[in-house]
Amino acid sequence: MVKAYAQEHIYKHPWERVTSASWRKFADPENKRTLSHILEVDTLNRKLDPLSGKLYTTRALTIHAPGPWFVRKIIGQDICHCVESTVVDAQSKSMQLATRNVSLQKFIEVEEKIRYDPHPDNPTGWTICRQETSIRIKPLSALASMAEKVEQRCAERFMQNSVKGREVMERICKYLEAESSGMAL
Amino acid sequence: MGAASKRDKKNSSTSTSPCAHLRSAYHNCFNQWYSEKFVKGQWEKEECVSEWQKYRDCLSEHLDDKHLSRFLEAEAAFGSVFQEGKENPVENSAK
Repeated sequence: MVKAYAQEHIYKHPWERVTSASWRKFADPENKRTLSHILEVDTLNRKLDPLSGKLYTTRALTIHAPGPWFVRKIIGQDICHCVESTVVDAQSKSMQLATRNVSLQKFIEVEEKIRYDPHPDNPTGWTICRQETSIRIKPLSALASMAEKVEQRCAERFMQNSVKGREVMERICKYLEAESSGMAL
Repeated sequence: MGAASKRDKKNSSTSTSPCAHLRSAYHNCFNQWYSEKFVKGQWEKEECVSEWQKYRDCLSEHLDDKHLSRFLEAEAAFGSVFQEGKENPVENSAK
């Protein structure tokens, strides 16, 4: 049982600003309320290739994911750790993120891939974001029938959260825009 | 950036929160470097090195119980995830 989703969104901001916002998305305290499912974000690793202008980063996301009671009972926790790997190529202007869960893998595998590229119609002004999410619930014989429901709920949550994520991104972009033009907020 | 926001939600994930102020010092430095230098073509020099070192030292002390410490050293996490230039289908993470 796998569910996969693809979404696209156009930000009317340049790639530099949008990717800056992406780094701040989970870390700014102002967004804690909107993205309250994200409890902690830690940078685990970073590597810069000074010749090619590529930046590699690994971050850990601690996510609060309360499920139905029976899921909590089975799993015994409602916190999930995910690892996010990012490659930013400053030369060709692309940012790719891949996030997958490292805890609860016995029960579920979620992978989210996001790409930010300059929009072909307006490469210096707009950014296109492509997002793919796949969710796989591991079939456990005793749980097989309810697994589908869980998967559905999980997918719904993901969609809700990615909408919230976009709102936050738009807000940070606006903030960065104001900052770069010297306006105080 | 204000003081670390108080969280009303109780959670058991605060094992890295002793590093919270080192973390925000690093992230602030990183964000500035990223948007003011890296994306503008000045990528030949790594910055925020001392902030990173302090933050990392703290993390490696506190990450043990999160099964995440292996990612501190691993560079293997990269590369396998992104194959250059093509959108290949999602591969399973069996490594």
